[in-house]
Amino acid sequence: MEISPASSALFLGALLLYLAGAVLPLFLRGRRESAVSAFLPAALGSLLVVIFAASVIVSGSAIRISSPVAAPLAVLDFSLYIDGIAAFFMLIIGLVALSVSVYSIGYSESYYGRHSVGALGFLVNLFVISMLLVTATDSVFSFLVFWELMSLSSFFLVVYEHEKPKNLRSGMTYLIMTHIGTAFITAAFLVLYLQTGSLSFDSFRGAAAQLPALTKDSVFVLALLGFGTKAGLVPMHTWLPKAHPAAPSNVSALMSGVMLKVAIYGLARVTLGFVLPDSPGDAWLGLLMVMAGSASALFGVLFAAVEHDIKRALAYHSVENVGIIVVGLGLSVVFMSYGLETLAALALLASMYHSLNHAVFKGLLFMAAGSVVLGAGTADMNLMGGLAKRMPWTSLFFLVGSIAIAGLPPLNGFVSEWLTLQALLSSYQVPNVVLQLSIGFSSIVFALTLGLALATFVKLFGISFLARPRSKGAENATEAPRTMLVGMGLAGGLCVVLGVLPLVATSLISSSFGFNMGLVSGYPPFGPLTVGYTAAGLKSLSEISPPEVLVAAASVGAALLGFVTVASRGRKTIVRPYSTWEGGFGPLGVRTEYTASSLSQPIRTAFKWFYRPHTSTERTYFSDSNHMVRRSISFVSETKEVFEEYLYSPTTRAVLFVLDKVRKIQTGKINSYLLYVLIVTAVLLLLAALQP
Amino acid sequence: MTTLLADLITLSAAGLLIATFGVVVRRSFIGWVSAYRYQSVVLAASTAVVGYSTGFWDIYAAAVLTLVVKAEVIPRLLVRVTSGVEGDLKMEANPYVSIRLSVLISALLVALSYGLVGQVLASARLDVLAQAYLPVSVSLFFIGLFAMVSRRTALNQVVGLLIIENGLFLFTTALTHGVSLIIEVGILADALVGVVISAILLTRMSQTFDTMDTGSLEKLKDD
Amino acid sequence: MTYGLAVDAAVAVMQGIAVVALAPLLTGIMRKVKARTQKRVGASVLQPYYDLLKLLHKDEVVSDQASWVFRSAPWVVAVSTVTAALFVPVFLPFSALSAAGDFILVLGLFALARFFNMLAGIDAASAFGGIGTSREMMMSALAEPGLFVTLFVVSLTLGGTNLTSLVGAAAQSGVVLTASMLFGLIALFIIVLAETGRLPFDNPATHLELTMVHEAMLLEYSGKSLALVEWSQATKQLVLFALLVNLFVPVGMPVSMGAGPLQLGAGSLAVLAKLGLLAVLVAYVETRIAKWRLFRLVDLFALAIASGMVGMIFFYL
Repeated sequence: MEISPASSALFLGALLLYLAGAVLPLFLRGRRESAVSAFLPAALGSLLVVIFAASVIVSGSAIRISSPVAAPLAVLDFSLYIDGIAAFFMLIIGLVALSVSVYSIGYSESYYGRHSVGALGFLVNLFVISMLLVTATDSVFSFLVFWELMSLSSFFLVVYEHEKPKNLRSGMTYLIMTHIGTAFITAAFLVLYLQTGSLSFDSFRGAAAQLPALTKDSVFVLALLGFGTKAGLVPMHTWLPKAHPAAPSNVSALMSGVMLKVAIYGLARVTLGFVLPDSPGDAWLGLLMVMAGSASALFGVLFAAVEHDIKRALAYHSVENVGIIVVGLGLSVVFMSYGLETLAALALLASMYHSLNHAVFKGLLFMAAGSVVLGAGTADMNLMGGLAKRMPWTSLFFLVGSIAIAGLPPLNGFVSEWLTLQALLSSYQVPNVVLQLSIGFSSIVFALTLGLALATFVKLFGISFLARPRSKGAENATEAPRTMLVGMGLAGGLCVVLGVLPLVATSLISSSFGFNMGLVSGYPPFGPLTVGYTAAGLKSLSEISPPEVLVAAASVGAALLGFVTVASRGRKTIVRPYSTWEGGFGPLGVRTEYTASSLSQPIRTAFKWFYRPHTSTERTYFSDSNHMVRRSISFVSETKEVFEEYLYSPTTRAVLFVLDKVRKIQTGKINSYLLYVLIVTAVLLLLAALQP
Repeated sequence: MTTLLADLITLSAAGLLIATFGVVVRRSFIGWVSAYRYQSVVLAASTAVVGYSTGFWDIYAAAVLTLVVKAEVIPRLLVRVTSGVEGDLKMEANPYVSIRLSVLISALLVALSYGLVGQVLASARLDVLAQAYLPVSVSLFFIGLFAMVSRRTALNQVVGLLIIENGLFLFTTALTHGVSLIIEVGILADALVGVVISAILLTRMSQTFDTMDTGSLEKLKDD
Repeated sequence: MTYGLAVDAAVAVMQGIAVVALAPLLTGIMRKVKARTQKRVGASVLQPYYDLLKLLHKDEVVSDQASWVFRSAPWVVAVSTVTAALFVPVFLPFSALSAAGDFILVLGLFALARFFNMLAGIDAASAFGGIGTSREMMMSALAEPGLFVTLFVVSLTLGGTNLTSLVGAAAQSGVVLTASMLFGLIALFIIVLAETGRLPFDNPATHLELTMVHEAMLLEYSGKSLALVEWSQATKQLVLFALLVNLFVPVGMPVSMGAGPLQLGAGSLAVLAKLGLLAVLVAYVETRIAKWRLFRLVDLFALAIASGMVGMIFFYL
């Protein structure tokens, strides 16, 4: 299929729409007008981006858009190059931005009066534009410019509700960490520049095959550190659970769903495009990624399990899912270094499918969480409950998102989990025992992560939506406005489609990454996914075909219904509602219900070695002589964030200690500063003189 | 002729050094200003010598400009603007380094600059002008800096700055045989404006805080 | 391999009906064995059938705090469990739906059922439900890696995750268990005990808040819903036992469907016998031990995971 020049017009048109959405609300007042003028163009622009990206992928050819003004210096090259990989990530951006934009039309209205909706619209549109341009650029300089723009606009969005000092602190942490990441990324690019002498990605790609081993390793590690910081890999993840909850929920959806994927895009570009793993000596790089990924996954979900702030828990789950994506990428690198092309394609497919899935269902979950926070007035799960009856649509969407993220059939999470597991199980083909065993152990960690994820979402959905409301806010909760529901519905529908018709996504990914895997057969889009195995000389095929599973389930359901009806004829049974059985103690209240903390208590105790909880009990008495009558008892149990306590705090303390000592040279007197100048000049002259 | 030239060069260099010492020993602001005036005159003479030896006419023009601005305009301006300041504030009561010690240190600095620059010059092949003036200019620079370091009063530090500027001017003139006239004018204008501004600011400072002791700036430091 | 749509469908339907029909019998056998070893006569082996049919005729009482999740959960649980049963070759070394789903899908469907069970537990806003759900959360999270490591060992030894080919490969390799498969068997046995809610993990006969896990989640159910959930649990138990038996002790199982009706029939009878033996074994084990303290169970799970890892190591080295 030929790409017509209209396609680049689509892209530029989308950019213009975003710009309109950024600028318009700054001029309009009025609740509805500012919200609509900010996000309706954004929604339309996202739709254009989706169409554009899909057409680039389907056509199989890349698009180059040169900047209209000639670059004064070679380094200031702002031309765009959109190949299949960039188009795929643009598709992700577009899909999530579409649902979030529609959602934001209703959501941002709630900020009217307290904060500037125009500023929100401006920043969000800028954010999306910068993310799109990051994926489209072709040279280091423009990449860094747009990357920085992305970081800055998201920083301002994080501190949007700046009246809460906690948000300001979170924003500062985020700003610092993201710039540390950017520093590493710049370092990686600089190493490549030193090697190739040019700043354009094209030349990096061309030189990839001849890179010496040391360059490869250093670029790889630097890129992993840099992009990993932005993506939220452990141990660089500490900003994520602070920043994502602080931002408004539509922004959290964008940051968690899309910005993390842009970091993955960078990582994928560098590790698979610029640093080709083509010899077994490169396998350790992939193993590093697999281990970092599984550690992230496990730590992320462990921290999520004990959170009772709904948005913080979702943020920790993002850390977990990024870990899963990186595991897939790492496996791909390992397989590529041993020349196992089909398996590398499988692992990459799993990783990219999970990126798409995570973007969609995390966006959905954050949007639903935003709706809950708006309706119930709190983000603390211990104050929620009973929302399923009061906010039926939101609870349905949250349930869909929970089933998706827990990796349960028939939704999309299951498909990418299946693919990742198949990739892990295929590691027996790697002819190196150490690698095989390490990947095997990582897959056990992976399975533990999946189990814990299921448990935490039981808690998240169950405590927030089911049972009795635990506070006045939850009792009086109201359903979200219609545009928010439509936005969530879009994302939910995507979850279903991606789960039931996996071939749609797999063919998109295969053609965008340029591999033809023979994985897909049958009648697209309804065919099965297939992976081949060999053991003891026997070949077998593992397949899943979600449509067939649904058909089977539907027939089972019909059969069961028929059986139950037939078997219970002869006596008409009724269903009576009555108050919950309370064991004879009298009517139940809120205090007898389970809370989020109590639901996760067995997990917290089982993993005590990880959480190291501090507990303290304080009792006050009415009189010191009689300790039987207590005035109050308070019990506090807190789990420290392991990395903050053992990695970041000591490092920060050490740095501050050293800086304190250095501070002594700042005396505040001009004379001493001048003395420093004098001494330094004299020393310099001395050195110059001593040089032969 | 050449011997006359050589004598003139040596003489002017010596004159500059003497003038600089003259600045160092003074205690009061007025004394500094007049010593600076004297130094500027000698500087103008040196510049004229350079012009004479190279034959560029714009160096003569630069010499005249130096004479006019540095020897006349700036000292007058300084005195005029700071006339509002009380007299005893302009007296260097308590310098960080006592006058006697600073004379010794200045001598050391001169020796240092001669030694160091001599080493550097040995490798580069420069003509007699540079050989004579470069060490002087470097020592001017150091002494000016040292003066700023050792004096407490802000006004006196301004004079130190001016001495540094003199040294730099001599450096460039000797090395490149005259800078383009336009740049020369620019630099002079820069110095002029800088002096005026700092003088006004310092006057203000003395009126507000009743002191010009830069040591008390330390109290601004947030500890 | 498919044998034509009609044959496939017929086989699938028959297998599904057989599994669902026989599941309560297994429970009955286990209760009888326990009773006998406790020197009681015990109820008839068919008692679970009577109980389930009785429940279908009873009214239901639903808590007024519960939402639509509570009401729909039994159906979701039943449909997903029985659907999973269709993918597992229980009596024949063949499952018609192996082209549509493999081992991982079966585990995923069981997880879906578990998810809804856990949700239903807290929906009634009673503290007992919370007890069950919180304990089940911990145990299911720890059972997952155990299941997966077993899957890994099986996949390495027998090749892949397609259940038909796995069972066929197992039948082909005969009785001899390799060292890695032995460790895998230990791991799977422990995990099966956990998943089916047997001692020492959970006591299916108790309603004391100290000891119940699965029962606590079902406490609020009555009538048809309770019948569906109980039946699903029994079906899951049968399927897991069948997996254990067919993968690790494939005596008498014909290698493939081309073996002729006599051999297939003999194979089915062999499977029935093995299932019965396994049920007796599990029941006997249950009478010998007591329920363990909840946090001691973590050690047992760790043992299962470790056993699986050793099996993996043995395979690679």
